[in-house]
Amino acid sequence: MRKTITIILLITAVFVPFIAFNVLPVIGDPSSAPNTHVSDHYIEHAIDECNSPNMVTAVIVDYRAFDTMFETTVMFLAGLSVIMILANRPKKKIFAPSSLKRFRESGHPIYKTVNKDVMISIIEPVILIYAIYVLFHGEVSLGGGFQAGALIGMTYLLDVMVVKREKPIFNLPKKRAAAIAGIGPFIYALTGFISIIGGGLYLEYNKFPFPIHQAELHSIGITAVEIGVTIGVAGTIITILNALMERISFDDDIN
Amino acid sequence: MTNLIGNTPVLIILLPLCSALLCLALTAVSKNLGSLVVKISCLGSLVLSVIQLCMVVSGGTIHYAIGNYAVPYGIEFVIDSLNAVLLVAFSLMGFLTVIFAGNFSDNKNHFKTAGAYAELALLITGILGMTSTGDVFNLYVFLEITSLSAYCLISLGGSRGVVSAYRYMLVGTIAATFYLLGIGILYATTGTLNMGDMSNILNEGGHDGAMLVAMCFLIPAFGIKMALFPFHGWQPSAYTHAEPGSRPLVTGVMGKVPALAMFRFFYCIYGTDFRFFRIALMLLGILSVIGMIYGSLMAMGQNDIRKILAYSSVAQIGYISLGFAIGTPIALAGSFLHMLGHAFMKGGLFFCTGAIRYKYGTVDINDFGRIYKKMPLTCGLLVIAALSMIGIPPTAGFFSKWYLALGAAGQHEWIYIAVLVLSSLLNAVYFFRLIEKVFIRQSSDLKTRWESEVLELPVTLIIPIVACFLAILGIGLFNVKIIDVLLMTLEGVGL
Repeated sequence: MRKTITIILLITAVFVPFIAFNVLPVIGDPSSAPNTHVSDHYIEHAIDECNSPNMVTAVIVDYRAFDTMFETTVMFLAGLSVIMILANRPKKKIFAPSSLKRFRESGHPIYKTVNKDVMISIIEPVILIYAIYVLFHGEVSLGGGFQAGALIGMTYLLDVMVVKREKPIFNLPKKRAAAIAGIGPFIYALTGFISIIGGGLYLEYNKFPFPIHQAELHSIGITAVEIGVTIGVAGTIITILNALMERISFDDDIN
Repeated sequence: MTNLIGNTPVLIILLPLCSALLCLALTAVSKNLGSLVVKISCLGSLVLSVIQLCMVVSGGTIHYAIGNYAVPYGIEFVIDSLNAVLLVAFSLMGFLTVIFAGNFSDNKNHFKTAGAYAELALLITGILGMTSTGDVFNLYVFLEITSLSAYCLISLGGSRGVVSAYRYMLVGTIAATFYLLGIGILYATTGTLNMGDMSNILNEGGHDGAMLVAMCFLIPAFGIKMALFPFHGWQPSAYTHAEPGSRPLVTGVMGKVPALAMFRFFYCIYGTDFRFFRIALMLLGILSVIGMIYGSLMAMGQNDIRKILAYSSVAQIGYISLGFAIGTPIALAGSFLHMLGHAFMKGGLFFCTGAIRYKYGTVDINDFGRIYKKMPLTCGLLVIAALSMIGIPPTAGFFSKWYLALGAAGQHEWIYIAVLVLSSLLNAVYFFRLIEKVFIRQSSDLKTRWESEVLELPVTLIIPIVACFLAILGIGLFNVKIIDVLLMTLEGVGL
């Protein structure tokens, strides 16, 4: 009985929106409400108000910068939650079978065509340069903080997971990685505080207490915010990686 | 300095946020610095919210545009008298919980302690942000922060906590999606995300179909988040197994904020002129009436004190939504007074159970025999909060129910009054059962974990208990003043 009611409810819940969704405007309709009210203002005034040729960036980190700050915080929160839930559970003793040791030694690459250690060492700096390029181009063209952060995080991930080093170049254990993930959004929040010190409202880039032109102030604000996002995202990715690595016992380890 | 005062609406939220973000880094510098900063920042936002309340009472509604952009283009905070009062109560509960949580932290694992403090501070940030924002998408972002930190805090309460957090996460994600669908439809009809602007455009008329579909998404969304009757499935186990240190905040405050958001959508955005408004109110009324009876009946059958309180929350949320369903200013004021009072009652009862658990390590009410001799302060709060739940003057619970009944009588909704009385009687049954155990039952052998001649508990546990005691009595005794402040906003929006 209970199941029948649930199924009937579900079916109606799926089909009713099909009838009801004709309340939505047609895709691409230039006279629909979303295309005439607020978006018009963004398209017409993004360049003179925010000095950003990239309108998407202008909306994300200038008009609605406050939302993005909390989205970055959500990233930090997700990373922190993952590491708190996964890595802080009481540890089980791991019984590594004796065959595992032998297997590990044979895990070295026997094929000599491409040496991945060398390859990775060459690719990594290139990815990092690209990440910084993406970060600083976020304001004028494609790119932005989230992508740059993901690239930096991925570089660390490649470095840790592929290359076998006695001592890793950058070592970020879980405590430090999570702290860095928190410092990123903090830089973002701090950018807003600077405009309060300059006598404005929160995140009002015009009121930064620096003696330069207004357009430059907006650029500085957007770049500072993007740097914060980058650090936050990179830290979060490394945190999640650490959380997974602390769960030493994976099922497919043994065999 | 005047500049800082002008920025209070946003500073109240930023203080806990910054402390949460820095908590882990500061803990790496010194062991207790992170948690200390979280405590100080919560105290700071409490002080600022009190200042803000004074400003709102004397100077009217505050509009704070972030980034100083004109209203529909940027994000706006709107602090009217409702928000201001609730912000004081919520930041006070947040501060008390942060003090309280220190007793339940793992002293060996500093990373875990710092992480839990960061999650708690982020939960406070989300709650305060949802209370003060005036933008529907910004509300969603804060809702996300509140929910995510709550999932984590619930799952830190042991292996049962993980399972209940997982359940909550599944249901909560559906709620968040429904909310997003609802505001997506509203955005498609109006083209704006600002609450005031959206309300103006919707009131021009001609959008009834879209508004109805959006409301069908929004009622379950807020219903799940506030644990209204048919959507409450996640709530009892989540409240029972949450991490003990953060439990008062999770149980006392977290359910109230979606209720405030629901009020904003019903009365501030849709407005009483909406064609299907009466039908929506009737639906809400039916749900809350069933919830009030069901929650009380379920609570009577439990032995674990945490479960009793969790089921009683289902009933108490029913009172709040009943006020929304009646819809006159006086009933709405009663429902907001109940929000304030219930935050301290339920939070206070969980402070008590936490204290008893801290001292004796038990949560079964059959072990509570004559515990009043050993813990007089805790039992004082237990009794006053229980009396307030039942609705005995001069506590907060009596006056909120009184105003709800007044509002219902004004609208000739006699069924609501009958259910209100019946539910109060059912409350009396299970709370007197609890009081009987505390005062009359033979005392059982309990081993003390805390040895001290002078104090019954550590000071950090006594402060929240005393503060909740005073707050329950204070809201009851000064209810006329609070109602006057609330009516400053409510006069314009009710039926």
